[in-house]
Amino acid sequence: MEQTITVELNGERRALTVRTDATLLEVLRDGCGLASVRETCGIGICGACTVLVDGVPISSCLLLAPLADGCRITTVEGLSRGDELHPVQRAFIDQMAFQCSYCTPGMVLSAVALLAERPDPSPEEIAEYLAGNLCRCGSYPRILAAISDAARLMRQASR
Amino acid sequence: MIDAVERVTGRIRFSQDASLPGMLHAAAVRSVVPHGRIARVDTAAALEVPGVVAVVTGEDLRRLPGLRPVYGPQIEDQPVVALDRVRYVGDIVALVAAETPRAAQEAAALVTVEYEELPAVFDPLDALEPGAPLLHELEPERPHEGTALYFGIRPQFGTNCCNLFRIRRGDVARGFAEADLVLEETFRTPAIQHVAMEPHAALALWEDGRLTVWSGTQTPFNTRQILAGIFGLPVERVRVVVPPMGGSYGCKVFPRIEPQAALLAYVTGRPVKFVLRRDEEFVTLTRHATVVTIRLGLKRDGRITAREVRAYWNTGAYADCGPDVARKGGFGIVGPYRIPNVAVDSRCVYTNLPPAGAFRGYAVTQATWASESMMDLAADALGLDPLEFRLRNLLRDGETFATGETLHDVHFAECLERAAAAIGWEGPQRRELGDGRVRAKGLAVVMKGMTTPSRSEAKVGVDRSGQVTVYSSTVELGQGARTVLAQLAAEALGVPYQQVRVVDPDTDRTPFDNRTTSSRSTYMMGNAVRQAALALRERLLLAAAQRLEVEPADLELVDGNVRVAGAPASALTFGQLVEATGQEELVEHGEFRNQGGLDPDTGQGIASSHWHQGAGAVEVEVDTRTGKVTILHAHASVYAGQVVNWHTAELQNLGCIVFGVGSALFEELVYDQGQLVNPNLSDYLIPSFLDLPERMTHDLIERPGAEIHGLGETALPPIPAAVGNAVARAIGARVTELPLTPERVLRAIRARDGERG
Repeated sequence: MEQTITVELNGERRALTVRTDATLLEVLRDGCGLASVRETCGIGICGACTVLVDGVPISSCLLLAPLADGCRITTVEGLSRGDELHPVQRAFIDQMAFQCSYCTPGMVLSAVALLAERPDPSPEEIAEYLAGNLCRCGSYPRILAAISDAARLMRQASR
Repeated sequence: MIDAVERVTGRIRFSQDASLPGMLHAAAVRSVVPHGRIARVDTAAALEVPGVVAVVTGEDLRRLPGLRPVYGPQIEDQPVVALDRVRYVGDIVALVAAETPRAAQEAAALVTVEYEELPAVFDPLDALEPGAPLLHELEPERPHEGTALYFGIRPQFGTNCCNLFRIRRGDVARGFAEADLVLEETFRTPAIQHVAMEPHAALALWEDGRLTVWSGTQTPFNTRQILAGIFGLPVERVRVVVPPMGGSYGCKVFPRIEPQAALLAYVTGRPVKFVLRRDEEFVTLTRHATVVTIRLGLKRDGRITAREVRAYWNTGAYADCGPDVARKGGFGIVGPYRIPNVAVDSRCVYTNLPPAGAFRGYAVTQATWASESMMDLAADALGLDPLEFRLRNLLRDGETFATGETLHDVHFAECLERAAAAIGWEGPQRRELGDGRVRAKGLAVVMKGMTTPSRSEAKVGVDRSGQVTVYSSTVELGQGARTVLAQLAAEALGVPYQQVRVVDPDTDRTPFDNRTTSSRSTYMMGNAVRQAALALRERLLLAAAQRLEVEPADLELVDGNVRVAGAPASALTFGQLVEATGQEELVEHGEFRNQGGLDPDTGQGIASSHWHQGAGAVEVEVDTRTGKVTILHAHASVYAGQVVNWHTAELQNLGCIVFGVGSALFEELVYDQGQLVNPNLSDYLIPSFLDLPERMTHDLIERPGAEIHGLGETALPPIPAAVGNAVARAIGARVTELPLTPERVLRAIRARDGERG
């Protein structure tokens, strides 16, 4: 069975025809060609497939696509404007907060959501909030530093 | 990293992202029994599924003319699809190709297989008992189809031992006779999995009798050779292209799914993509579970008189590179110590479990767990400080290792002393907090070889636009190979490294390299790239000298120009110099080899052309009421020789520590009668943000003029052993088996107190 859903995908209004049993991950990755949305565990543990749905980070491997009808969806492709990177992306580069970078889009999106909720998180709060984003290369200390840096830069910019 | 923007914007493309028009998707039907004969395979229902194009069974494979249905890097024992027998739960019984991944999965689930079950064996010691079920009928080499070939290894024919590696040095009987004290203990490690975030993914295409495979593999040239062997082709008719990987840590060493993707593409005549599900990852390759018994002879003054080791590496149903793991573990297990009398018997053993192969640390994590736990037991028995005991025995520059080779550029003691100092070893080594919590410190040293002998080639070119390009078959798996190789070429040519392009490995375009393993690339490929870049520099200098009518010695290379030293106006761009030759691109070649090898029966020779050296030190807190272990501080000191890129070098050390934490505290594949019970990330844990040591620190030790030493693995093996030693110190009892779960720690405490576990 198929169904048409309407979403705002990375700032663009889109009507998508999806199987009723398709996950949002399948629709974004295979249907919309957004290759930054990546599957690792398939059961909502690892955070590699994280996208923002109405600003909330969710595991797109667990959300049935029809349930995203009417929602605003952001993937990492929608974060940067042209060549201008989001401050979190910038900070990830400056701290070199990745190795293989497979988990990076999910990490960046979770960090963006965290900083929207809490502009000045402690390292413990960052670790707690990102506990559902796994990095097998073990770049965690750099990711923590990058998110703290991004928080500071974003607070300065909003002043 | 030169590809940092691609990475943070998600634009980087992994092999999982590769696609071709008209491509089919593969799925595997896997055995549900650990050992059995295939009585019947019924594919009728699967073929009815809309979108299914082909279902290939072992019988189909057998009927294909000109194919060699088995493969393997060291023993050709693994069928592309099980031919008549399955050997573990997860073995591939049939392959499906369909228009969509869903149709392929659905059809795979509809294939029914009947088995006649055979007795199975899971423990390596059981597997070596007389009368144990045999996994393979290995026979001395017979050069016709279906017979295994052995590459410098010693299978024990008629048993499940697919390699016996030995070291014989001195006379252990005499060594034990001279000892004041003889200790013996057995240590175990479980199978664990790499859990690369990106699963195995390969895309295969046949065109005009030529096979091209895009695959995230650490071994493009081995994979090419093995695919050529399966399909009876000269290697020139197979091409392997390697996009960057979303992690590997050894799981993408040697062919894993490429033969299966290529077979389906061969049968269907269409491109086929094969991506594993996470549960399949867990049964595709693991790290060897081990049982290691060490007997140590000691003098009261702390000298070691003899060391005898019996090591068993559970390689599962297919050998993969297990024979070499047993070899490298065999000398790794001796440790970097001065021991006159050494005997090692290291056996790689088949069992009815998923195959085990390369894993970051390559045998040395398991070896170090046994060897460094034993060193602490010995220090305690002698009443010596574990640091002091090690320092008395550690090999120094110019001394001889158990393989008979003389070691140079030796820094074990320095690494250990720095690690010990970093966690405050001099302070109290054990402290009770009064509420059941105890804090304690532990140390471990590591000695790890690099693949020897081996060879790396590279080309470095510059074209008419002045673009410098590195052609190298070193793969990018997150370690920063592209960046480091670009840096080494840039340094020689006087251009900013960000402007150097590094071509991804492609066996049609990039020259030969052994493989991207054993922390060898920055050193081996780095030297090949350096050589090629220096040759290119000479050529550019000569060309400019002619045009400017000066001596090459008067010239300098600055920012992509050659000019008379100090005279910017004289500058000629690289592009102009290339154009003047009439060629499109000037390319120079570099090659770097290391030499050595060991006698498999005595373990004498050159094990490694240089050694990876390091030490780990940790402080832990053990809650003796619950058995929970918390790592307060973990430190790794690693000898780097020369650091090429501090960022990527530090990330290797940090990554190794985090890997070590998982291995120390919770990673374990649990089997029930050969069935893996935790093939998912809910039941199999890898370290998250919340599992990190409270403090993680490290050193990279450099020496002016020293060789580059690879850093991809060195800091990992000492971590579990250091944690084990710290926990033993905390609770006054030793846990001899990894991981150090609360259950095991509590059991050890209760056993210490004489209670029933």
